[in-house]
Amino acid sequence: MINDVNLNYLSPEIAMVALAIIIILGDLVIKNRQLLTLITFAGLLVPVMLTINLWGTTGESFNGALVVDQFALFFKFLVMFAVFIVILSSQDYLHRFTRYTGEYYGLILLSAAGMMLVAGTRELISMYLALELTTFSIVALAAFLKTKESTESAIKYLVLSAVTSAVMLYGIVLVFGLTGSTHFHGIAEWIGNSNVSSTSLILDSGTLGDGAIGFIGFLFILAGFGFKVATVPFHMWVPDVYEGAPTPITAYLSVASKAAGFAILLRVLYEVFQPIQPDWQLLIAVLAVISMFTGNLLAIVQSNIKRLLGYSTIAHAGYILIGVTVGNTLGQSGVLFYLAVYTITNLGAFASVIVISNLTNSEKTSDFIGIGRVAIFPAIVLTIALISLTGAPPTAGFIGKVYLFNAAVQSDYTWLAIVGVVNSVISAYYYWKVIRIMYQSSGASTDTSGDPNGNRVSASMNISLGIALVGILILGIAPDWILGFVENAVAIVQTTYPTA
Amino acid sequence: MVTQTSLNYVPVVVAAIVSGTVLSLLFILAAVVAPKRRTMISAIPYESGIPPKGSTWKQINLRYYLFAVFFLVFDIEAVFLFPWALTYLGIGAIAFFEMVIFLGILFLGLVYAWKKGVLKWT
Amino acid sequence: MESVTGAIAFWILAVAIIGCAVLVLTVPNIFHSALFLVGCLGGIAGIYILLNADFLAAVQILIYIGAVAVMLIFGIMLTQDVVKSNVSNHYRIPALGLSGAFLVILLTAIFGTNWQTQSPSTEASTGSIADALFSNYILPFELSSVVLLTAIIGAIVIAKER
Repeated sequence: MINDVNLNYLSPEIAMVALAIIIILGDLVIKNRQLLTLITFAGLLVPVMLTINLWGTTGESFNGALVVDQFALFFKFLVMFAVFIVILSSQDYLHRFTRYTGEYYGLILLSAAGMMLVAGTRELISMYLALELTTFSIVALAAFLKTKESTESAIKYLVLSAVTSAVMLYGIVLVFGLTGSTHFHGIAEWIGNSNVSSTSLILDSGTLGDGAIGFIGFLFILAGFGFKVATVPFHMWVPDVYEGAPTPITAYLSVASKAAGFAILLRVLYEVFQPIQPDWQLLIAVLAVISMFTGNLLAIVQSNIKRLLGYSTIAHAGYILIGVTVGNTLGQSGVLFYLAVYTITNLGAFASVIVISNLTNSEKTSDFIGIGRVAIFPAIVLTIALISLTGAPPTAGFIGKVYLFNAAVQSDYTWLAIVGVVNSVISAYYYWKVIRIMYQSSGASTDTSGDPNGNRVSASMNISLGIALVGILILGIAPDWILGFVENAVAIVQTTYPTA
Repeated sequence: MVTQTSLNYVPVVVAAIVSGTVLSLLFILAAVVAPKRRTMISAIPYESGIPPKGSTWKQINLRYYLFAVFFLVFDIEAVFLFPWALTYLGIGAIAFFEMVIFLGILFLGLVYAWKKGVLKWT
Repeated sequence: MESVTGAIAFWILAVAIIGCAVLVLTVPNIFHSALFLVGCLGGIAGIYILLNADFLAAVQILIYIGAVAVMLIFGIMLTQDVVKSNVSNHYRIPALGLSGAFLVILLTAIFGTNWQTQSPSTEASTGSIADALFSNYILPFELSSVVLLTAIIGAIVIAKER
């Protein structure tokens, strides 16, 4: 009866959960915070090694609930990289909550396990549970500061994610009721065999066709993913949650959660709902356009840097959706590459925001005046990161956008590419405003409010800033190796179905 | 619509009807037979002889909530034990280890809560 | 004869569920709303029994009526102004229109769909659910324990004051 359990395929996630439990229980006996951090870093090597060990393997386990392919492994690496940088950048932030260090690391690792599983699942129930694992941990992490804003952000995230989860579950139920399967290949098979064609889907000669309920279910599942990746109709939580949550958690949420959301979005769209692509392609394109415009236009009026980056993340979800719309190998690999670029860029931006707001005791962009002369290195990293977010050369963001827009043009989505370029120009305005403020000489630029001794930048902080800086530049100047990597990764998604 | 299995629930329905009837009969009986003499004192809720203080609609301690969470978690665990008990012989040793892992992970949660002193009421 | 009793039972339960649901929305005291919600959930357990889904019915009673209702009531009792909390707002009519439109769309779609139906099996379902749960669905089963563990840790981190 049990014929298909390959624990090897699940080993990175198992290691992640085990590490989380060890850290959380270890916190009860180990009182030294440094030692705990060290154990976390050392332990993080285990899932990384296990993922490397799986490299090149392709296969399923748990009756198709778990899949190992380059696509999943790519996202596993991305999530683990984000965890590494986030924990590294947390070192200058942890003094704000000394008590729960172990839980802080543990919850980050648990949610990472959820995200890694999201990228590698092919079954709706596992997918739902993995997404919930991610959400629960992030809710607790968002509330960590226990200030009014932090609690508010946790409540908003919890309530809105519960609502979208319920909607998504309802969608899953409808799809299951129609197709009789929770496995991606089962649903894909049903759609392939049924007479549901793109034209009969919504209105079939006046009456609602068979596919209508499936399409409603599909839309509901899409709403759940939309929440995770923060596209426009489901973006309301972003600014408040980003502002209130601890900054490293905001960074984590903006990159890892988004990456996992796009991973499952791509997989579901192109492995399950590929046959009805004409029905949703335009919908995704419209979501991309309104996400870009909403994010960029609202970001202009923000005065808090975390809110600004929050709106910018909505806009970036829009850019990435261009690649999702296009959907061929070029578009999908564009999505993966852009996510890698975005991850490293945003982690760099948030790391420097942590340092700078520690110095200025403020998250307002107007208080960053003249910081470029005081905190030279963080200001440089933030500048480069913002240039990369704009999409100007020689940074990673430039290559990412060129790749995405090129994919759109190649597939007759030139109008989407034009919208993307227009939005990049809009975004340049508010990103560069921040850069200008940083290098402005203010009347009291020498007075940096707060004593220099208490605000020493730790070595780990500098390491994470350095990694981000080097990463942004390397991906901007020599992106070939990772481009080959992502093209390889999406090739598997392309060819796996509908042959099963 | 009704098949053999749901007929198993007929005793449940009968029990519900009988107990409901008896209960309402008792209330009706009390309302009809008991002498009515309402004074201020007889309207006060009975709290073992101590006069009640304040409103009953007040905020409760946050600690209760943690206990509710634990109850929910271990209730779900208990629910999984029912099908497990049924399938245990069919699937065999693997089912046993599956449940050991499941319970083990939850047990770690209990250990954590216990060590954190959440279970203590001080 | 059997189908008649079944139909009677179904309609009694249906009326009770919808009545409770309406009361959840309309009673002024949110605490009473919660109690009516419990009634609603109990009615759904009854529907499960009528459909021979005995395991689901047990889950419904144990988890929803048992644990979730307790959570819900504790949650309400944690708020500061318990009695006056079921406040109305200005969006009643738009909300009614929206949910009404949604109901129409959903009903049309449901009745227009050729569902893959099976007559409910006459055997108890717990056994087959168990077989599926512990063979094909091991991954979600074990994953649920990790999710529950996360819930415990998260709740302690958030709620423990010291």
